[in-house]
Amino acid sequence: MTSDILSAIIVSGIVLGSGYALMASGLSLVWSTLGIFNFAHGVLMTLGAYLAWTVSDAAGLDFGLATGIAVSIAAMVGVGILIERVVVRPFYDHRDILLITVMTTLAAMIVIQKGIQLIWGARLKQLAPIMPGNVRLLQTTISAQEALIIVLAPLVLCALWLFLGRSRIGRAIRAVGQNPSAARLIGIDVSLIFIIAFAVSAVLAGLTGVLLGSVRLLTPEFGAEPLVKALIIVIFGGLGSLSGTILAAYIIGLLEATLVFLVGIYWAPSLIFVLLIFVLILRPQGLLGKVVR
Amino acid sequence: MSNNTNALEIVDLRAGYDASDVLLGISLHVGLRERVGLFGPNGHGKTTLLNTISHVIGPRAGSIRFMGEAIDALASQKIVARGLIHVPQANRLFPDMEIMETLELAAFTPRAQKELKTNLECVLSLFPRLAERRRQQCKTLSGGERQMLSIGVGLMCAPRMLMLDEPTLGLSPKLKDELAEAIAEISSRGIPLLLVEQDIAFVLSLVDRMYLVDHGEISREINRGAEVDHQDIMDMYFGSERA
Ligand SMILES: Nc1ncnc2c1ncn2[C@@H]1O[C@H](COP(=O)(O)OP(=O)(O)OP(=O)(O)O)[C@@H](O)[C@H]1O
Ligand SMILES: [Mg+2]
Repeated sequence: MTSDILSAIIVSGIVLGSGYALMASGLSLVWSTLGIFNFAHGVLMTLGAYLAWTVSDAAGLDFGLATGIAVSIAAMVGVGILIERVVVRPFYDHRDILLITVMTTLAAMIVIQKGIQLIWGARLKQLAPIMPGNVRLLQTTISAQEALIIVLAPLVLCALWLFLGRSRIGRAIRAVGQNPSAARLIGIDVSLIFIIAFAVSAVLAGLTGVLLGSVRLLTPEFGAEPLVKALIIVIFGGLGSLSGTILAAYIIGLLEATLVFLVGIYWAPSLIFVLLIFVLILRPQGLLGKVVR
Repeated sequence: MSNNTNALEIVDLRAGYDASDVLLGISLHVGLRERVGLFGPNGHGKTTLLNTISHVIGPRAGSIRFMGEAIDALASQKIVARGLIHVPQANRLFPDMEIMETLELAAFTPRAQKELKTNLECVLSLFPRLAERRRQQCKTLSGGERQMLSIGVGLMCAPRMLMLDEPTLGLSPKLKDELAEAIAEISSRGIPLLLVEQDIAFVLSLVDRMYLVDHGEISREINRGAEVDHQDIMDMYFGSERA
């Protein structure tokens, strides 16, 4: 393997991993706070990208990219809150909340995806890149937008990590995830924390959509494959561990890039699944997960 | 009518879970500087009573007043904000958080935040063992340390009244004495106390007055100094043939 092939694999793996990390961290946040999987997380990414496109693109409202991104991110706060309200909140006291919300969030995903198809049509769209042009990195050329993703993802994740670790609200989110009744007894409004966790998670999904929307083409199914990857990553990283999720995202990104090079794009996804099954047989709790939740 | 001679006043409180009624009409009060015990066999509703007061579960009937104001319709966080603090039984707290982080977080309401510094000093001087282990995670604490942290967390909430649910559950006699001292110290600062305990000697050493809970009702009230009828207590535990 020559060094430029190796560096191409590494760079494309890191680009993939950065997107996955942004995507999966939102999913992981909701899991560790509420104990549910939000299957609508992928379609939130799609929605974020389409909203940014409509506001920014010349074929839409033509307000420019910065406005488009800002509007999209702000809208995601509302969408996150709405999803929590409509498909999660009614089932908080239910014993089988995990299973019920698999159903309800899947339903939300389908409804939103069909809605997107209805509003924006099936025609492919693409966001303008935040940074146009190309850059050279480790003897490989990538688009400046991809380079931006590589830089931005760790910054956003660091901010998320600091928020959860240091801020009052962030700590309250973790407290609610670890012991909601004890959190309630120190004066934390648990349902408000659930709303905040959903809003932050939706913003992360929207941000991923906005960033990837100029690297890939927008279709109503834009977020479907990232959702599946993010699910795998959250499980592989160890349920409830944000650092595990982030580590797993980059590992899977690099693994995918390697497999694409070795066996081609056709077999790579299935091979990733097979490898993960082996890993989970050896380490059922995932990379950094706790043995029991 | 507001009554300013009591911190807590409960009248005919009923509560339970799903189809089962646990509290069958409880009335009690705790004075402004009073320490009151709550004693009764396992499963007779002591924890349920505290859970209802702090609105972890909703009351089905009856009234709860704190510092003269009705609180039975308030959400838990609002009750905490008013300073009625419930330290729950066998609280495992936040497993992955460190002691210091937990204490800081516990000063969550705006009022508690204002008192964070003084309350933290107070907790660490009351329980020096917590100060020694400030970076240790809750899940790795011993039973005694966890109980101390649990009470410390209650103090960080800036209590105007404390309700402690079996703070010495499963602890050695030596640790019990240590905790008794800490609790006495806390209440000597004028914080009224409602103390649930299974250890009769422990309660009597700490309280001014005590209620016996029997099948979701208050069966007796015992004043300090009054002759404690141990037969009553034996009856509660082993059943009574007397009329
Ligand atoms: N979450 C719950 N769901 C249903 N029933 C419950 C629940 N919690 C307690 N109970 C029932 O309510 C009754 C009273 O329980 P509670 O915990 O209040 O007793 P307790 O007096 O605190 O006992 P202990 O001294 O053992 O702590 C018991 O019969 C118990 O099984
Ligand atoms: Mg109890």
